[in-house]
Amino acid sequence: MKGAEVISKLSTILNGEELIVSSNGNVSRQVYHLLQGDQIYLRGSMGLPVSIGLGLALAQPNRTVLVITGDGNFLMGLSAMTTVAHVQPTNLKIIIIDNELYATTGGQDTVSSTIDYITMIQGMGIDTARSFNMSDDEILISEMLKDTILEPGLNVLHLKVEEDTIVLDNIPHHPTKIKDNFMSRFS
Amino acid sequence: MIMIDSADFLSYLSDNDFTFSTGVPCSYFRNLLLALEKDDRFTYLPATREDEAIGIATGYFLGGGRTFLIMQNSGLANIGDAITSLTQLYKIPLLIFVSYRGLEPDKDFPEHSIMGDVTKPVLDAYQIPYWVIKETNWKVVLDNALEVMEELSKPVCILVKKGVLSE
Ligand SMILES: Cc1ncc(C[n+]2csc(CCOP(=O)(O)OP(=O)(O)O)c2C)c(N)n1
Repeated sequence: MKGAEVISKLSTILNGEELIVSSNGNVSRQVYHLLQGDQIYLRGSMGLPVSIGLGLALAQPNRTVLVITGDGNFLMGLSAMTTVAHVQPTNLKIIIIDNELYATTGGQDTVSSTIDYITMIQGMGIDTARSFNMSDDEILISEMLKDTILEPGLNVLHLKVEEDTIVLDNIPHHPTKIKDNFMSRFS
Repeated sequence: MIMIDSADFLSYLSDNDFTFSTGVPCSYFRNLLLALEKDDRFTYLPATREDEAIGIATGYFLGGGRTFLIMQNSGLANIGDAITSLTQLYKIPLLIFVSYRGLEPDKDFPEHSIMGDVTKPVLDAYQIPYWVIKETNWKVVLDNALEVMEELSKPVCILVKKGVLSE
């Protein structure tokens, strides 16, 4: 399964109230085009989606905050996960779309292929980490996405995916409009 | 030099609707951080990196809150992309306290000397308005800085020299 297909699947699980932060590059484009709502589509700040999600989860404790991040972004900001583990925000859900690539910049390798994500994340102190591997039955993905979003508590889902073949259009809004649209959801 | 009283300083921040803080310590903030960690009006979240702290503070703002940040000027070098491609781009107001290391009192600490020389040029390059506070003027300066932060909806920086917020 490809990253964009996983993100599409989320649209049937989300209720529209979730606050989403997506990592820069292809992932933000996919979240913008494939999921509903005005979300935080990051254009830059590679490595920071988890931190931004943590701050948002602390400011909005009654809303579910979902971070959707590529593996390159996740690894660049890896130490932010130790802070998340320390805080244990129960409304934060993190989905890692792991194509083992910096796909946005032309498909160069990340170091993801040698990492055991579950052991690493559990070692940080997050027990509720799940992983989907290429050899697993694809039917499992929907269940895992559902559990990650709907089960109470801090949940992390690591998904191995195939490289996307289609690059979606750029996000048409200036970042200040992305912010204003998002923040108007609270008023 | 006379030190700013940490209790007064925190009361000022509380009166200005700050309830949340994050950052990475510098010894220049030792007394302030001790008081901050004990003060139930605030949650202080220790970050692992200064750019992470900017990310957390940005998320907190997007969720409707206000954050003040604490970092060493060496941390200014770690936040370049977070400032330029996140907080300046999306227009995120933040109050950032930065220790001004590498000046005369740090003459035995060569690790700070170059960042001390370039602290103001770096802030100019990031297009961050900044002020230096003293015990005698800090309230007026902070009033002004907060006004600029709100009006421009961008990060502002307060430079803190040795002895101003800690012995
Ligand atoms: C600090 C920084 N370094 C490099 C880049 C260039 N860049 C943009 S997207 C990207 C790849 C992100 O990889 P990942 O999060 O795995 O997502 P994917 O592209 O695979 O969907 C890179 C390296 C950047 N935007 N910022």
